[in-house]
Amino acid sequence: MRMIYKVSVERCIACGKCELACAFAHGSEGRPAKTRINIHRRGPELGTPIVCFQCDDAACVAVCPTEALVRNNETGAIEMVRSRCISCRMCVAGCPFGNMLWDDAYHCVQKCDLCGGDPRCVPFCPTGAIAWVPIEEAAIPPEPLDRETLVFEGGI
Amino acid sequence: MPTLTVNGRRVTVDSDATLLDAARAAGVEVPTLCQFDGLEPWGGCRLCVVDMSRANWDDDWFKVVTACNHPVEEGMMVVTDSERIIETRRVVLDLLLARCPETPLVRRWALEYGIERTSYTPNPEPDDCILCGLCTRVCDHIGVSAISSVNRGWGREIAPPFHQPPPDCIGCLACAEICPTDCIPYETSNFRRKIWGKEFEMLRDPKTGEAVITREQAEHFAERSGVPMTYFETSDRSKRREMAKTFEKLQVVK
Repeated sequence: MRMIYKVSVERCIACGKCELACAFAHGSEGRPAKTRINIHRRGPELGTPIVCFQCDDAACVAVCPTEALVRNNETGAIEMVRSRCISCRMCVAGCPFGNMLWDDAYHCVQKCDLCGGDPRCVPFCPTGAIAWVPIEEAAIPPEPLDRETLVFEGGI
Repeated sequence: MPTLTVNGRRVTVDSDATLLDAARAAGVEVPTLCQFDGLEPWGGCRLCVVDMSRANWDDDWFKVVTACNHPVEEGMMVVTDSERIIETRRVVLDLLLARCPETPLVRRWALEYGIERTSYTPNPEPDDCILCGLCTRVCDHIGVSAISSVNRGWGREIAPPFHQPPPDCIGCLACAEICPTDCIPYETSNFRRKIWGKEFEMLRDPKTGEAVITREQAEHFAERSGVPMTYFETSDRSKRREMAKTFEKLQVVK
């Protein structure tokens, strides 16, 4: 079954769990600043998760001089091949959405690779704003989130 | 798809593969210094030498070739650990150690082949550059060619033309990033970048003030892609913010 990464912007509460999960899953010492999914925060409990679209005709793939960005046909993700990347950062300049990221600690670019078909951020999302669903369900509009009844457990 | 034997193990690879690809497919490690998957093989460091015998050659007849740029052929026999191959690599590493007696990468490889100290006269002015040519090749590959190797023999070095700040350099730092011994010095900050003696001004995002890329880099990208220069003035954070604003319109909040 073809699966797809689905983002329901209206359900995001900007808790940042996906950012943390991503930062830990990719071994960048768990620094949330080095996540590949970024929440644009614009108010209390209001956020927009921004993550790579895995574009069909991707700008990053087109500008890469060494063909270091290749699509994994199984997951549909565009993956960065570390052994081919020359760190010229053309993809960072080329991505129209700002989803190619430069990692100063590892001296290479980072992008969402859908964790090889099991995105680690998805199970941590408490409201289902991000989901990994069969491709047929991608266009189903999300249930609206009733923000008044949200319960935070163990918080301050 | 040719089938060949690497150290007695049969392996089938693509017809455009090299002996190095075949060795890796067979799970055999061949040391390399100047090889990089994203760039054309060069055969400069001579560390990846292997013994190779073609199908129609006598069984005991082998030739020493560089694995990184030698094409594969049906029925080839490859030996990566024969006595003379080990000896050839030892000589290469011994010479490299004489040139760069203090470079950790060279010392590590030399130690792997049992060389603790070079048997030649060590370089009185230790240098970290192993002349692998990765920096010049990466510069050629992205279509800039700002640096090259100059002089010959022991005077050979990597330098910009006439040892002056290179007019073609775009300050992308690809050469410094790829250098296996990190011996290309550069300075970079939010305002300026300096490499090969050339100073660059960083383009800054008009909204957030973050440094994005150098002006020369943006000009180079704009020329290559046909996209206007202003496109490259936006930082990735700024682009994400713009995209989030587009999505906000979709967001229904009770």
